[in-house]
Amino acid sequence: MSAVSLIARDELRLMRRNRVAVIAFALLVLLTLAAALISWSHQRSIAETRARFQAQASEAFEAQPDRHPHRMVHYGNFIFRPLGPLAAFDPGVDAFTGNSMFLEGHRQNSANFGDVRQSSLLVRFGQLTPAFVLQVIAPLLLIFLGYGAVARERERGTLRQMLAQGVSARALILGKLLALALVAALVGQPAMIAFLLIAGQPGALAGPMLVIALGYAAYLALWAIITILVSALVRRGRDALLALLALWAVLVILVPRVAPDVASQAHALPTRLETDIAIAHDLHKLGDSHNPNDPFFTAFKERTLRQYGVTRIEDLPVNYKGLLAVEGEKLTSRLFDDYANRSFAVQRAQSGLNDGFGVVSPAIALRRLSMAAAGTDLEGHRRFLTQAEAYRYDMVQRLNRLQADAVSYANDTASDAGADQRKRISAGHWHEIPPFRFKSADAADLVKASVPGLGLLLGWLILAGLALLPVARHLQKARS
Amino acid sequence: MSLTATGQRILLSDVNLSYGNHPVLRGLSLHVDAGEIYALLGGNGAGKSTTMSALLGFARPDSGTVLVAGHDPAAAPDKAREQIAYVPENVALYEHLTARENAAYLLALAGRQPTGDAIDGAFEATGLQNAAWDKRLGGFSKGMRQKVAIAIALLREVPVLLLDEPSSGLDPRATADFNRLVHDVARKGAAVLMVTHDLLSAADIADRIGFLESGRIVDEASAQGEERFDVRELHRKFAREVVAA
Amino acid sequence: MTLIAHELRLLLRSRMAALALLLVALLSCAAVVAGMAEIDRQRDVIARIQPKQAQDIASIAQWVDKEKDAGSAAYYSFHATWDTPAPLAFAALGLRDVAPYILRVRALGLEAQLYDGEAFNPELALPGRFDFAFVLVYLTPLFVIALFHDLVSGEREAARLRMLDALAGSGRHLWARRVGLRGGLLFLALALPLSIGAILSHVPVGQLLAVLGLVALYLAFWIGVTLLIGRMRWSSVANAATLAGLWLVLTLVLPTIAHVAINRVIPVGQGVEISLAQREAVNRAWDIPREDTMRAFYANHPEWKDSPPLTAAFHYKWYLAFHQVGDESVAKKVADYRNAIESRDAAAHAIGWLLPSVGVQSLLTRLADTDMQAQLAYQDRIRAFHKRLRNFYYGYLFTDKPFGKADFDKAPKFEG
Repeated sequence: MSAVSLIARDELRLMRRNRVAVIAFALLVLLTLAAALISWSHQRSIAETRARFQAQASEAFEAQPDRHPHRMVHYGNFIFRPLGPLAAFDPGVDAFTGNSMFLEGHRQNSANFGDVRQSSLLVRFGQLTPAFVLQVIAPLLLIFLGYGAVARERERGTLRQMLAQGVSARALILGKLLALALVAALVGQPAMIAFLLIAGQPGALAGPMLVIALGYAAYLALWAIITILVSALVRRGRDALLALLALWAVLVILVPRVAPDVASQAHALPTRLETDIAIAHDLHKLGDSHNPNDPFFTAFKERTLRQYGVTRIEDLPVNYKGLLAVEGEKLTSRLFDDYANRSFAVQRAQSGLNDGFGVVSPAIALRRLSMAAAGTDLEGHRRFLTQAEAYRYDMVQRLNRLQADAVSYANDTASDAGADQRKRISAGHWHEIPPFRFKSADAADLVKASVPGLGLLLGWLILAGLALLPVARHLQKARS
Repeated sequence: MSLTATGQRILLSDVNLSYGNHPVLRGLSLHVDAGEIYALLGGNGAGKSTTMSALLGFARPDSGTVLVAGHDPAAAPDKAREQIAYVPENVALYEHLTARENAAYLLALAGRQPTGDAIDGAFEATGLQNAAWDKRLGGFSKGMRQKVAIAIALLREVPVLLLDEPSSGLDPRATADFNRLVHDVARKGAAVLMVTHDLLSAADIADRIGFLESGRIVDEASAQGEERFDVRELHRKFAREVVAA
Repeated sequence: MTLIAHELRLLLRSRMAALALLLVALLSCAAVVAGMAEIDRQRDVIARIQPKQAQDIASIAQWVDKEKDAGSAAYYSFHATWDTPAPLAFAALGLRDVAPYILRVRALGLEAQLYDGEAFNPELALPGRFDFAFVLVYLTPLFVIALFHDLVSGEREAARLRMLDALAGSGRHLWARRVGLRGGLLFLALALPLSIGAILSHVPVGQLLAVLGLVALYLAFWIGVTLLIGRMRWSSVANAATLAGLWLVLTLVLPTIAHVAINRVIPVGQGVEISLAQREAVNRAWDIPREDTMRAFYANHPEWKDSPPLTAAFHYKWYLAFHQVGDESVAKKVADYRNAIESRDAAAHAIGWLLPSVGVQSLLTRLADTDMQAQLAYQDRIRAFHKRLRNFYYGYLFTDKPFGKADFDKAPKFEG
């Protein structure tokens, strides 16, 4: 048997005999399973709730009585963001974003009722999910189990003995690493099995799941290497433990908190109020529908009259007010898109800067990869917002066209006692409007989005692996 | 208590001490007078370090009398310790403080505020080379550390000096230096008790040598004449009574 | 040289101790600076919106002035509200990064407006902010562990313990002195930057003292834990590992489990139910006789019932009335929703008695007025303001008083 595997076996035996190590390991496994179970049932109840609300909202929409179409534009529709299957593993920003949206004409509402605003402050302590356990807690277990791997030999003088017997420092380090890597694999296993059980339904996203598995494996392997590296570099076990704890606190806890601060200071996001005012202002500049002499709307009127070959609005074969609504919605919607894109560009820049800290902290790189592959990152939310806006626009324009086609101009402008009834169109029209169906990202997109994170992680892994070589050389020469 | 006064400074009388069911000291009796150096010789497990613990008040005897300069260490450890300068086998001082700083700090802990000159004088007396006084202890040899410890003991001006295996790990020259130093301390009136298994060193400076075996003194020898001890005779006794046990 | 001075030299000579203290001071400084920068930014934003808001109202006033319809004024005028950060907010940003601190409302149904969110990047909010509360709650225990885990065991391992004990007169005082010194320096490293920040932010003295007391208590808790573990006479490394494990459980694992438990035990009837119900109530008004709406409205607001009856033509007073009736129809749901959130919050506070990390965080955010209670209080202020807004416009609408340019200035002003 080679020296490497002998050393690894010896190290594993030592860990098995260390009661504290075994208990800590068992606790972590339990915690992982608990997290998986809790997260799964939590996500399922969220999914059920949202599906129920979605059904209720769609039903209510279709059950509306005969109405003037513009009333339906304001009655609007509620839509809910469904959760992807991988959200049970890593819910990402789900708790922090609103998950329901009210869609109506000429207004773009915010997504509301995120968990963070209806939970206690505890939500800010992090959420117990398999991703959290693997990202934050599992490295700590590896540190506890591995800090003494090399430092112990050095402290007790057994290192000199081994080197004297011809065991190379490289074999020693590789053996210890092998042992710790095996532990890391065991640590990650329950989460991965749970992950498969939760998300591995038929038609599941194999690609993203593979990327997630790969990413977490690389992350845990990285921590195993870091632990062995520090253990080999530091003279005493205690110093190795303290150094590793400090490193963990900085990389996993501190940097991920500092990075967002830097990002949000670097790229300021305009407030909704400012955006709303700016949109109103731009709209006003484009044209003032309240002003009968407004050049834009005068031009639109003339264009319309010319198109239909008539001279008076009243002679148009369609309801001019409906046409006007269509045109108005087109204008506002373009502005909404424009401002949403701008806001999103800022957020993307913020996130990009935040992700850049992945060079400093592998935890950030992993979080990026994990959320991106699970489709629970900012892009995932953005996907919902984009589809919501597209749906809103389509719904509103369908209703506006109904106003143009199904309500006569004369009725629409009448204000006599019976006018209200004459303006209404049949409720059957509401059924023609298709319900909102969220189209989740396909596997290829998710994988593509997670590539930068994976690249960073693999870069870390390679760098740490390469660092083993000089450290082994250093250890070979070490006197004590 | 003045250093020059004579009389019993260390007294152990019929001391029995056990750890749980395991008796360690079994009727140990010995005394050390002012100005006297007593070497307690014994093999592993004879009870040497337990004797030290009893004198320092770290272990409480089941029966018998222990007195350090008239104080019972078990009943009033602080009172007894006030009278004792203790130099452990491996002098452990603060590595990141200099010799001077160590002396000043540890003496301050003992409630003394010696002047800088006094510390210099004590270092001089122990033969610690000048260059080392302001160096951090990290690079000191065992002999140098012992000198710092003895200097601290000197500055405390206490009537009792306890030395735990002082010569282990010292080269012959450092041992000779150390012995001379201990000798000077005793001549000034301190009672010195050293536990050791270094027969030669004991023979070199002790006024009396006690052979400790299974928790009691099995034999005692006193220095006589120019030759002081018959080393060969001592060695025979040591081998027969102590080591053989 | 006094003993304390000796101990200080001894402590600061140790590279690790000096580094740890320096790091705490730096982190505390950085957190205070970052917190103050964020709060300054929020104050700037609040200041920045005022002229824009005035401009927006002015442009509405311009065209409303032509017809002088109070209804148009009410419909189109959004009024800004804002939640000015408390002086201490920099120390614990709390919910201020995820809950809006600016919200525009108009005199229509409030329940459809009150829960709107602010634009923020959820990815930046996810890990939590870097503020003093974070440094205190999460990082400080780690430094306590670094500085105290080998307090006695380190001396034992260096074989100095016996000698120290043998040096008469030291006794307990030695350890008390060392604990006091380390604890005191840690406290100073945390408290000095915080106090400077607090003075610059004009935090009332009493509040600053309360926070400093909290810092001292939290430090005392963790020092107590390290001393307790130290009494087990384990090795330094075993102490460090045990303490780090305890820290993990107390600040990371148990709070997350408590979060799940609370949200399970106290279900919050989804806030969206309010929105759905309110929308039904509001839109139904178009399909029922308008008199029904007015009757329901006058029943609760008899002060306007002498208003002239509705004609066939559209009148904004009806429009605003059905919005208000819509709001009132969901009052029970609103109360339930809020009660549930409050009980969740109360449960978290209760858990703070068991988990010091949670306790300190919740007390800090309470003192800083950045917690859930502060959010709800802001909502209450918005409600009160919205009520004044309604009454203001009703004063014109229900008496058919023309609403001119000058009247825009008479609108209630939100007081932040």
